[in-house]
Amino acid sequence: MNVVELRNVTKRFDEFIAVHDLSFTVKQGTIFGFLGPNGAGKTTSIRMLVNITAPDEGDIKVLGEPVTPQIQQRIGYLPEERGLYKKMKVVEQLVFFANLKGVPAKEAERRANHWLARLELADWKNKTPVEMSKGMQQKVQLIATILHEPDFLILDEPFSGLDPVSADLLKNVILDLKQRGKTVIFSTHQMEQVEQMCDDICLINRSRKVLGGSLKEVKRSFGRNTVILDFEGDDGFLTADLVKRQKRFANYTEILLQDAADAQEILRRAVALGVRVNRFELVEPSLNDIFIESVKKTNGEQ
Amino acid sequence: MNKIGVVIKREYMTRVRSKAFIIGTVLSPLILLALILLPGLLTAKSGGERHIYVLDQSGDAALFEGIKNRLDSTSATFDNKRQFGNMRFTLVRVVVPPDANIEAVAKTYNDTIAKKSNEAYLILNKAILENPEPKYFAKNPGDLAVGNIERAISAEITDRRLAQAKLSKAEIEKYTKPVELKAFNPQGEEEKGVPRFVIGMVMLFFIYMTTLFYGIFVMRGVIEEKQSRIVEVLISSIRPFDLMMGKLIGIGLVGLTQYLIWVLCALALSVFGVSMFASQGVTVPHIPISWLIYFVLFFILGYFLFATLYAMVGAMVSSEEDAQQAQMPVTMVVVLPMLLFGMVMANPDSTLSTVLSMIPFFAPTLMMMRVAMVNPPMYQVVGAMLGMIVTIIAVVWLVAKIYRVGILMYGKRPSIAELGKWIRYR
Repeated sequence: MNVVELRNVTKRFDEFIAVHDLSFTVKQGTIFGFLGPNGAGKTTSIRMLVNITAPDEGDIKVLGEPVTPQIQQRIGYLPEERGLYKKMKVVEQLVFFANLKGVPAKEAERRANHWLARLELADWKNKTPVEMSKGMQQKVQLIATILHEPDFLILDEPFSGLDPVSADLLKNVILDLKQRGKTVIFSTHQMEQVEQMCDDICLINRSRKVLGGSLKEVKRSFGRNTVILDFEGDDGFLTADLVKRQKRFANYTEILLQDAADAQEILRRAVALGVRVNRFELVEPSLNDIFIESVKKTNGEQ
Repeated sequence: MNKIGVVIKREYMTRVRSKAFIIGTVLSPLILLALILLPGLLTAKSGGERHIYVLDQSGDAALFEGIKNRLDSTSATFDNKRQFGNMRFTLVRVVVPPDANIEAVAKTYNDTIAKKSNEAYLILNKAILENPEPKYFAKNPGDLAVGNIERAISAEITDRRLAQAKLSKAEIEKYTKPVELKAFNPQGEEEKGVPRFVIGMVMLFFIYMTTLFYGIFVMRGVIEEKQSRIVEVLISSIRPFDLMMGKLIGIGLVGLTQYLIWVLCALALSVFGVSMFASQGVTVPHIPISWLIYFVLFFILGYFLFATLYAMVGAMVSSEEDAQQAQMPVTMVVVLPMLLFGMVMANPDSTLSTVLSMIPFFAPTLMMMRVAMVNPPMYQVVGAMLGMIVTIIAVVWLVAKIYRVGILMYGKRPSIAELGKWIRYR
């Protein structure tokens, strides 16, 4: 079953087209990476999904129906730009947000206490956000997003500003939700997170969809155009006619080949130069490279 | 409805529990009340009794007797009815020879009056009829006793001067009989006490202040949600219109609570304070119930009209600093009646006053004032209210459209043309 279906959705603000002919689907129980550079139209698309704005053209279905206030109740939305009431106690805010989603006050408070404990914030329930660190506020915001036990979650940059420990805690919460059959749209600029967590992705740039499908297929479609190389000696053989981009790491170099280049040619030149090659591996490109390549390509076309 | 209810509850509870509200609402009238009632309460505490040593250098025993008699009649009222403002006086005459140094004599009493707040001394100087310079010394020389004593001395000296002019007692009474001016309305009802324009002005100021304050509260509330970016989460759960109405109603209820507390204080004052004022020669204004109803109704309508406009300003700007400028046009509309009310007060029945008071933006203040001053015909008051209701509906409809777009817009303040575009957005 598809939890989200966008069909040919377009949204304009006066002459500016924020989203152009966008289509994608999100399957139930999956984590969907919604990617794109700043200003690509992600926030506008997400706002249409949660019924903050309506599309000018096209169809949107969430949980099988056009988005209505009833459907809204079953969505949890953590916007990129988010906040809390500065002078309201944490537990009161959580109850307020859950009330707005139709959860009765008593039940909301019970759940709030449960989640505050789970995210190690139990001591802070009667504090106000002014007294808390950014990371803590972030966790409170996540709790507010899931307190009404939504079937479908939209998390926009949920990890920004979190320390590794908190980020890990949060990642487990998200994976846990997936286990329980919830569906997640996950928008971030951190590609490693996407590689670790997402089943499917959609990449948009300049209002249009650039890439889409399962993460595996997307990567496969780019072919094995990346070489992991560990060598000792002069790097003079890595010339621009073969290498589009290279990244040096402590123990190896990651090389993105030019479109027509043959990987074997690199090996041949290295050997000819007398360079000692310890590791030579042909791999799929990282999502980070795919992102950059695709965005550059579409920017060049337009 | 439920979601509006949730927003109303939050707006109301967080504000009513805030220190600012408690101080502004509960404490300020209590302080006012205390200031008014305290002298009376103090009198009641000290038993309302004064023991006064009269250091009499005038050499005129009859003068002392006259003053004493006058104050005895005050004491009789006190025995009759122990209440704030009523006092009992016991006078003891201490004859001071004309050649003695009165200050030196007086000094010997300073210790006594410093210790006991219900004791005092009074100096009646030489040749007091020609050159009256009586002096009163007490620990609390500013209390209610002074007025009573002053009236007694003044009346007695006047009488005695007239007696010196060889007037008989009957003649004195005849010539010094005070004149009392009675004021009537066309129905032939006598109107006593505080002039109606004063009541009108007080009501006008109250409505002006509260609609302005609460309007600005609404604006701040909108800016807070926008600035802290809570609003995007909110409107993924609730329609912007419901959010706006919830805020307007919630904060409006805070205002009504404040009014209720004030009305209760006013009632307390009229119950406990009337007799005290009466003894001071002041009548507590009698405010008809219908005025109070209009007062509350005009507050509610005025609040909704102005607060909705302030909500629009809040939605248009990104920070409190921006709001300072953006709110000017709205604040002008709110303040304008303050520049016009003098005209209405001088001539409350003129065509100009009538027309001004019927304009929806001025009605809450100016019509309220006219109600207090001239009993305008019912159709005018009801007409002004209906006009306001229609205006409020139109303003809410328009502002809702701007609000819906504005709360998600950050950065530069929109121009009028952009506002027009916002209104037309789907």
